[in-house]
Formats: sequence, C-alpha cells, structure tokens
Amino acid sequence: MKLVIFEDASYEQFYPLTYIRPTCDLRCGSTLLREKVERAFGRKADVLFVREWLREAYAVRTSAKVNDLGALAGDDLVLVNGRGLWIGDEFPAAGRDACAMAGAEIAYVTLTKQTAARIQASDFAGFLAASAKAVPAVKTGLKLLGYPWHLIEENGAAIRDDFKKIGKSGVHGTLGPSAVIWGPQNQVYIAPTAVVEPCAVIDSQEGPVIIEEGAKVNPHSRIQGPAAIGRDTQIVGGKIREGTTVGPVCRVGGEVEESIIHGYSNKYHDGFLGHAYVCEWVNLGALTTNSDLKNDYSTVEIKVKGQLFDSGSTKVGCFIGDHTKTSIGTLINSGTVLGMMSNILGAGCLLPKSVPSFVMFMDNKFYKAGLKQLIGTARTAMGRRKVTMTPQDEALIQRLFDLTKDDRDELIKKSRKEMMIQRGLR
Amino acid sequence: MAETIAERVKNVTAEMLKVDPEKVKDSSRFVQDLGAASIQSIELVAAFEEEFNIEMDQDEALSVQSVGDAVAYITKCVGEQHGK
Repeated sequence: MKLVIFEDASYEQFYPLTYIRPTCDLRCGSTLLREKVERAFGRKADVLFVREWLREAYAVRTSAKVNDLGALAGDDLVLVNGRGLWIGDEFPAAGRDACAMAGAEIAYVTLTKQTAARIQASDFAGFLAASAKAVPAVKTGLKLLGYPWHLIEENGAAIRDDFKKIGKSGVHGTLGPSAVIWGPQNQVYIAPTAVVEPCAVIDSQEGPVIIEEGAKVNPHSRIQGPAAIGRDTQIVGGKIREGTTVGPVCRVGGEVEESIIHGYSNKYHDGFLGHAYVCEWVNLGALTTNSDLKNDYSTVEIKVKGQLFDSGSTKVGCFIGDHTKTSIGTLINSGTVLGMMSNILGAGCLLPKSVPSFVMFMDNKFYKAGLKQLIGTARTAMGRRKVTMTPQDEALIQRLFDLTKDDRDELIKKSRKEMMIQRGLR
Repeated sequence: MAETIAERVKNVTAEMLKVDPEKVKDSSRFVQDLGAASIQSIELVAAFEEEFNIEMDQDEALSVQSVGDAVAYITKCVGEQHGK
C-alpha cells in the first residue's frame, strides 16, 4: 500500500498560513494534519502532491516523493485529502475501491492495485477525478477543514485526540517543588526531558496537558488543558488557557487562549492572544494584543482571498503569516489577517483588518519593504534557532513576494500620498 | 524656473528630516550627518517616489548613503521610468 496525501485547490483559503507550507502541514492539536494521517495508517506518507510552485521548497523538507505521478504505480493506494482532520476512530481499509465523501468533497480514495493501473491521467488532479469516478462513493464523517478558523475551533478536540493516541501519561520529566498538577495526573504527560519549574500549575481538570521533550515551564505559569506544549518550547510565565497549542521551539508568555502557535515563534511578553493562528518565525512585541470577540457579539468577518467573509463564528482572533513581526503595543482587531514577512509598528490604535505580506506598516500607513533585507533578517532569526534557510526556501519567498505584489501596491501608493499631504509636501 | 532634481531631493530631504535646508549638501550622509533613523529612511524613500512619480527598488534605495548619491540614483530612475 502507498499512502498519498494531496493538497486540493482550497489552499488559498488558508492564506497566509499556507504560503510556505501545504495545507497538510498546518497544525491542529499537538500534531500536524499530515502527522495525524500518518499515525492513522501507521506509516509515513509515500507521496505528497502539493501546488507546483511549492514543490521544490517542500521536497527538501520531506523524505516522501513530491508531485511524482509515476510513484503511484504498482500498489494499492490510499489518496488522502490533506485538509482532513483525522481524529476519532475512522480508519479506511486499504485494498478495496471506494471514494469517501465529506459532503460534496473528496476526503479520501482507496484503490486496489488493479483499479489504479486502469486509471489514465496526465496529472494528479486528473488521476484523482478519474479515480473518484471509477469507484463507489461512500459517506464519511471525517471533517475537511475549509478556513483558518476551523483549525482553532477543532484544536481542543484535536489535543484530546492526540493525547489519547500518544498513549502516554504521567510525570516522566521534572516537576519542581511546589509545582502543582491540579486535576487527574493521568491526564498529564510530561516528557522525560521536560521541566516544570516551582510554582507552575498544570491544570488537567477540563482536559489533558501534553508537555513534550525539552520543554520548560517557568514559575508562575498556568497551563490549562486541553493544551499542548511542543518540543524545546519555553513557557515564560502567564496563562496558557484551554484549547492552546504551542508548537516546538517557541518562547511564550502572557495570556494565550484557544490559539495555535505553529512553532519557532516568540510571544515572550505580556499581552493577549486569543483564537489565533501564528505561523513560524513570528515575533510578537510586548503587549501585542488581539481581540477575539466583538463588543456586539456578532459574528466576525475576515478577509479570505481578498474578500470580506462572514466566519459564522463569534470568536475569531487573528492569523499571522511566517516571519511577521509586531512592535510593542500592537493592537489587533477580531478577524485580522497579517500577511507574511511584514514588519508592523502598531500606532496605539487597531490595525487594519488586513495587512498584506512584505510591507512595513507604521503610523497607520503601508510602506515598501526591501526583500533582501527581509530575507537577511529571516536568515538571522532562523540561524539563532540553528535552522538554515535553503536556496529553495529563498526562491519560494521571492516567488511569494511577486505573487502578493498586487495586494500591497495600491495601499503603498495611497499611503505615500497621505504622508506627503501630512508633511506639507503636497 | 523649474527646480532641478537635486534641488527637489534636497527640499524633500530637509522637510522629511526636519533639518535646515542649508545643511543638506551633496556630501551629507542621511544617517550620520542628517540623523535619519531607520524609520525615517523608509519614509524618505516613499517621499522621493511620490515627489518624482517613480518606483525604486527598496533595497537599492535604502543602501544609498548620501544626498549626492540619492540625486544620482533618482536621476537614473526618472530617466528609466519617464525617459528624461
């Protein structure tokens, strides 16, 4: 059997979270969506299909074959939609022919070797469509996530599921004197090299808490389950409230609620982050705070593919792309999207609902940012965590700089005019 | 009489950085002599773009150190983008 995970056309709906990663590599719970699929099947993905312009950068990050149609030959196949949330007990039987539908969308397809051999297609999209037509359709209860806030909505359930499937509990690392587990100890997993320092509280009354290898929880931190703290992450005090995942190699303090910090990002200081997804290499300056609930309790609108879209949810925070940095005191409205590699200097009032990628935002205006300078800064930030930016990563960033040009150019021109008027030069 | 590119660069520089126009010479360095902080440099580049109706490569523009070099760089951009 070959396990194949594919990215469908919905990846744009997850921008900016999916600019530099495929949808299957988004985090929900303590693991990535892809890792949940791999766990369900007990094997690593053999082949991954992602949008073509992501292929080169992604191929160096994985041992799987990427966008290789020829690799599908000669075996039973399971073709899995990478935005499926594989929690619960569903496990499709390989070695039969079926197309599992989540509503009107393909969740996964299982094909026997014989059926797969009969499918003729020149690309994967064609292969998938032909496969779906060739085999009987069945219904599945598997959820396909469609928008960034779905990751947040499902995060608590995903942490519970991860905890159950990891199958480990108890204190295997260090629990300092006067540190407390408040709630059932069998709902806590502290990995062997993790350290919970004195006066920290691990609250498992309402859900499990996972603290992974090398993580450190400093004094006066309270972690309320369900919550997951990733490898080599440091919680530097404050409240990590229910439904929160902090991925690997982060530094996080202040107050965080029902949020996902993907990994390698810092929110070191006080300030509230709620119902938010923060990508990698982000730094949130001290007192950066987001709203996740409107004063009139109405549903939150958010920009998706350039259009304002009603999320249908009253609790939506913000979504922050890779390498973006905020200054001290940045205030972020509910349903705000901050693009990747932007440098945001809050001016003491709420940011616009959408800040494009690769801009300098200051004094409520958008300015150009120099790409070489941004890449240099990113390289420095990554080097501090012993991660190397590959030439493929750099080429991808260049491509994204070009791809997002139209999103920012008009805003920059308008800002320039406003600045000239304000300075009396017009 | 129409101002030259050099005169306009110097006027915009003086206004943006709040310095005495007399102190803005070709040899003046934006950071060391005129006190342009990193944020002001970004605003200054934007002001030049608006003043001359040009687009500049931000990395190149921010690497320009002196007023004279800015005049030369802007003159090149104006020539390329407006054929003057």
